[in-house]
Amino acid sequence: MDRRGFVKRTCLGSAGLFLGGFGPNIQEGILLPVPPPIQVCGLKHFKPSPLGMPGLFPGRVVQVSDPQSIAGNRVSQEIIRRMLELGMKELTDESTVRAAWLKFIEPTDVVGIKINPSGAPACCSSPELVREIISALQDVRVPAHNIVVYDRYEYEMDIGSYQTLLPPGVRIEGIQEGFHDDSGYDPKVYCEARFFVEWETRSYMASLVAHGLTKIINVPTMKDHSASGVTGCLKNLGYGTFSNVARSHRAPYSFTDPLIGVMCSVEPLRSKAVLHIMDGTRQVWHGGPLTQVKDFIYPAGTLYLGTDPVAIDTIELEAIERKRRERGAPSVWDVDPKNITAKAEEFYHDPAKNLFYRRPGHIASAGKLGLGISDLKHIDHRVLAG
Amino acid sequence: MDGMEEEALIFSQSLRTEKDWVTLLCDSSRTGGLGIRALKAPKRARWQLRVGNSVRSAPIFRGETLYVASLSGALHAIDVQSGRTRWKFLAGDQIHSTPSFCGNMVLFGCDDGKVYAVDDNTGTKVWEAAASAEIWASPTVRSAVVYFGSADGWMKAVRVENGTSLWTRQLGGRICSTAYAAEGHIYVGSGDGKVYSLDSSSGDILWEATTLNGIDSSPVIAANTVLIGSEDFFFYAFDANTGTLRWKYETGLGISSSPAVFDDFAAVGSKDGFVYVLEVQTGRLRWKTRVGQAVTAPPVLSENAVCIQAGGTAALDKATGKILWRAGLGASAQSVPVLTGNVIYVASVDGEVYAIE
Repeated sequence: MDRRGFVKRTCLGSAGLFLGGFGPNIQEGILLPVPPPIQVCGLKHFKPSPLGMPGLFPGRVVQVSDPQSIAGNRVSQEIIRRMLELGMKELTDESTVRAAWLKFIEPTDVVGIKINPSGAPACCSSPELVREIISALQDVRVPAHNIVVYDRYEYEMDIGSYQTLLPPGVRIEGIQEGFHDDSGYDPKVYCEARFFVEWETRSYMASLVAHGLTKIINVPTMKDHSASGVTGCLKNLGYGTFSNVARSHRAPYSFTDPLIGVMCSVEPLRSKAVLHIMDGTRQVWHGGPLTQVKDFIYPAGTLYLGTDPVAIDTIELEAIERKRRERGAPSVWDVDPKNITAKAEEFYHDPAKNLFYRRPGHIASAGKLGLGISDLKHIDHRVLAG
Repeated sequence: MDGMEEEALIFSQSLRTEKDWVTLLCDSSRTGGLGIRALKAPKRARWQLRVGNSVRSAPIFRGETLYVASLSGALHAIDVQSGRTRWKFLAGDQIHSTPSFCGNMVLFGCDDGKVYAVDDNTGTKVWEAAASAEIWASPTVRSAVVYFGSADGWMKAVRVENGTSLWTRQLGGRICSTAYAAEGHIYVGSGDGKVYSLDSSSGDILWEATTLNGIDSSPVIAANTVLIGSEDFFFYAFDANTGTLRWKYETGLGISSSPAVFDDFAAVGSKDGFVYVLEVQTGRLRWKTRVGQAVTAPPVLSENAVCIQAGGTAALDKATGKILWRAGLGASAQSVPVLTGNVIYVASVDGEVYAIE
């Protein structure tokens, strides 16, 4: 491992972006490996959009909560609709829901809704929320066939039954069929780094994102993550758009920081992701992203809305840390070797244990790349009752 | 409905011909027409074949041939003695639909919006019938008519001899549920959360019953009762003639698994990871057993066991729910093992087909 490593952005195809570095990583006496250089090749000749991250409202996070929005692990369609409408108006300072959506979406757009089905069925982007987003898009005259609900693995979407639960006409697409299918990715748009000893050192951007969509609405879930600390807006977007991402973490080490943020900064992903609506109806505070253990899934009944994924993830991280403290679990920043286990079963049932030295610093790193604001003091956090 | 009508309906259901394939995997045992057979714990793999792409539907078996559809868009006919491909038919897009048999044809739906009828001996196309969206449901057949639904919410009936249209009917949501073709009635679930009964000759809606979320479970009929799961976590029993709710049973998460029926019981999986066996008449739980993290596949019945794929393949004692054996093969959460007696065929989400004996 190159301990003098740094993140180097070489924007071969896109306009020049941030060129920066990340220093040695010493936490509580544990010397974690330093990430290797990451080379980036964005889509050539793509003109960045002013709607791109951090978007129209940098640093603004609207939190809408209603404990009645989830009961018995069922999400209320009516209440979610009300929460979404309230949140959109607050985010945009508009008086009507339609005007709020028109800040981001035009009728001619091809809109991708990036869901997170990876914890299905216990915790995934609620079909109820996705239905409301689709309905809102149709209200601003986006035709159903120009709405694409997508994620990396179609079989995970199947477990969430999105193919049945969403309205007819909307396209539902998995980027790849199985673990080794790379046909849905653009070989000219990629991030390249050698983290361990993997033979394929590139991660390619989904062709759907690079070429098929004009806008993306990101609908992550609210979960802790064994490698990255939390999975929220940034991870859902970056790791759900590029191929070959599991190589960034090999127990007990993780390079999700800074790779997650670097991926989100690659054009055209950065420009197309105009709105983030985090589904916090369920909050996974341990065992993420795949846990099905009920004890670790708290019915938080919350949505977070914004255009700044860094700010939303910062608020999410605080909320998950708070819940872990309440439950007596160590911080997601914990790097005590005694708490690292190689046994998945132990991790899945003991909140004190983890598989990796987690790297929640990816959120701040994304902030350094200009994707948003990670300093709590500068986040405009608005809390509403649904 | 009075007793005579009930008897008449049961009698008429028994009139179906051998060529009929009235529900997902032929009949309420979900055995793909093979009937209830003995099942022994598998010891070893006889052969393994990679079909190239993910398999998300159930294989079907006849004679010495296993038919497997994959997301590559190919229907594979595999010689079960050698494990080699006899022929391969390439459709226009991915295949999520479980194939069915009708005479000497294999029928299946495709994401290109067509149902294909393929000669089971030669692998050549006999006819195709077009819908206007992806077809994930399995085509069902009764009295020389093929029924299927599509992702744009249309139910369609076509002639079995040439695929020409008899009727179409718009329902309220996407249709991934495979229709049950009873005498005079078609029963199907929809993404709008409703169970529909349609007139099989006209497509007219006879009744509709509402659940609280979408349905991709496929119904069966037993004791004049429509049995079906919903994503609202409940398993439902509706009167087949009127749609009146007889009972419902709550599980821990949504149900996309399709029930199988034996004796007076219905077996179904839930996304909460359990297989449930309930009394058809009352909805009373006989047993439930945890088999995985999420169960979305239909169970298949053998003489002594309820068998299901959930991260692997598991066989549960019919009477008690005790796990008899597990096999690590067959990870496709939407597929169903083929139980032939001595050999079990399973398909996997990573595109492998296994014969285990």
